[in-house]
Amino acid sequence: MNGLLAAELRRFWSRRLLWVLVVLELLGIAFGGGIAFWNVRFELTSLPDVFLGTSLIVTIVGWVLGASFIGAEWHAGTVTTLLTWETRRDRVIAAKIIAALASIFLLSMVIQVLLGGMLAFDAAVRGSTEGVDGAWFVESLGVALRASALGTFGAAVGFAFAAVGRNTAGALGVGFAYFVVVENLVRGFRPRWIEWLVSENASRFLLARSSDLPYLARSTLGAGLYLTTVALLALLFAGVVFGTRDVT
Amino acid sequence: MDVIEVAGLRKEYPRLRGGRTVALDGLDLSVPEGGVFGFLGPNGAGKTTTIRCLLGLVRASGGRGRLLGADVPGGLPAVVGRVGSIVETPAAYPRFSGRTNLALLAKVAGVGRSRVREVLEQVGLAERADDLVRTYSFGMKQRLGIATALLKDPELLLLDEPAIGLDPAGIVEVRELIRRLGAEGRTVFVSSHILTEVQQVADRVAILSRGRAVASGPVGEVLSGGRAAELVVRLNDVSAGLRALAEAGIDARALDDRLLVALPPDKSSLVTRTLAERGLYLSELRVEEADLETVFLELTEGDQR
Repeated sequence: MNGLLAAELRRFWSRRLLWVLVVLELLGIAFGGGIAFWNVRFELTSLPDVFLGTSLIVTIVGWVLGASFIGAEWHAGTVTTLLTWETRRDRVIAAKIIAALASIFLLSMVIQVLLGGMLAFDAAVRGSTEGVDGAWFVESLGVALRASALGTFGAAVGFAFAAVGRNTAGALGVGFAYFVVVENLVRGFRPRWIEWLVSENASRFLLARSSDLPYLARSTLGAGLYLTTVALLALLFAGVVFGTRDVT
Repeated sequence: MDVIEVAGLRKEYPRLRGGRTVALDGLDLSVPEGGVFGFLGPNGAGKTTTIRCLLGLVRASGGRGRLLGADVPGGLPAVVGRVGSIVETPAAYPRFSGRTNLALLAKVAGVGRSRVREVLEQVGLAERADDLVRTYSFGMKQRLGIATALLKDPELLLLDEPAIGLDPAGIVEVRELIRRLGAEGRTVFVSSHILTEVQQVADRVAILSRGRAVASGPVGEVLSGGRAAELVVRLNDVSAGLRALAEAGIDARALDDRLLVALPPDKSSLVTRTLAERGLYLSELRVEEADLETVFLELTEGDQR
């Protein structure tokens, strides 16, 4: 299992798409940091709000990386080769999931730390660090961790869809259809079901304060547990399909 | 000991518009240890499905298979480390080098890096080993597939069309490699549609048609197919030759400008003497040998899709 996991980690971190997205994120940080430096006097106390704003990007990047990690492998046909080396399919998919999710969580945190570092520099040089204390640090760290967890959630669900459909584009399409069509239909025609929508739970999980989403009765922990359950069920389904379906 | 045992193996695929496609229809097969075993059949006969079933990639609908004594697929984890394989076109990560692709698989199975170097040299890829696989030609990818199959230093190799896409020199190299691997005491199970290639390297063959084995055994036995050997005799006066042989009690028949004589090769002197005694001198005498292609086409007649 260790060798398999090491091989999957190596493969994940060698992907071109990953580094393209990382470079784009770094350019975004540099651009955003530049704007903050020259045009506004950035107040470091608003860092948690910045993390909230970038959490959607973190989640989408997680979704794309998770889906393409397994989707590209089906596309290239390398799953067949791997399964002639390790025939225990549960181990194969477990190694892939662990490699993808752990890497995406780590990557999301590093990107946010870099963003935070850039903005802290701006604030120290031209802006303001007033009000920065222990409580601010805990809040900032909490938002960053929850945003990374959301990115990991996106990765898990994207991975699961791509594993079942054996296709990256299909998984991205399903995600788009869900958020654009299904959720809006539910909001329009079945408002009582809103508490079960991923977007609402993700917002509650991220915002933490119940006053931000007064119509949602669920707590932050409850939203986190709900999203975790959704991700685990999706991964479990993907694992069952991966373990039983013919590889032709 | 048989390294591959297949009994009544059946595989059906559901069709999109209902009904089922039968890929394997109660296949029985035994492959003894050591040497090269040719697995032949027209497209769609079930060769690749058989290999996929043996490797646990597809689940059989019925029957059973055993690989190195282990039941498939349940017992595969215990023996897969002793099995190397190529299934159809070998797939590799296109944005990794050939060496990295092999190193990743080596890591999965705990194979040392020195073995990666060895197999790259063995298949003639050492010089391009650090180039990205996406820059490889089809033939080079095929060589990388063979290197992948050899990486575990396996006792049993399952090679699905290993020479496909290779240039003539590459085909000869692969043929020599297969022959050498078989001579080393490994079992090489090779499926191919290039019958002359298989005939040159295989000790035993099985011919598959519509998901069943229609012939199996040593190459010579399958080639003869139960038919008596014949001698081909060419001479100027075929009818005189036919009369002469008939008078000597030798069974023969005319075919165009030749005579086909129903005698085994070791009785050819009887033909030359009989004809010479009557002043008939032959211009050619040879043994009529069926080639694998002829036997294959006869056995799979109506199955060419």
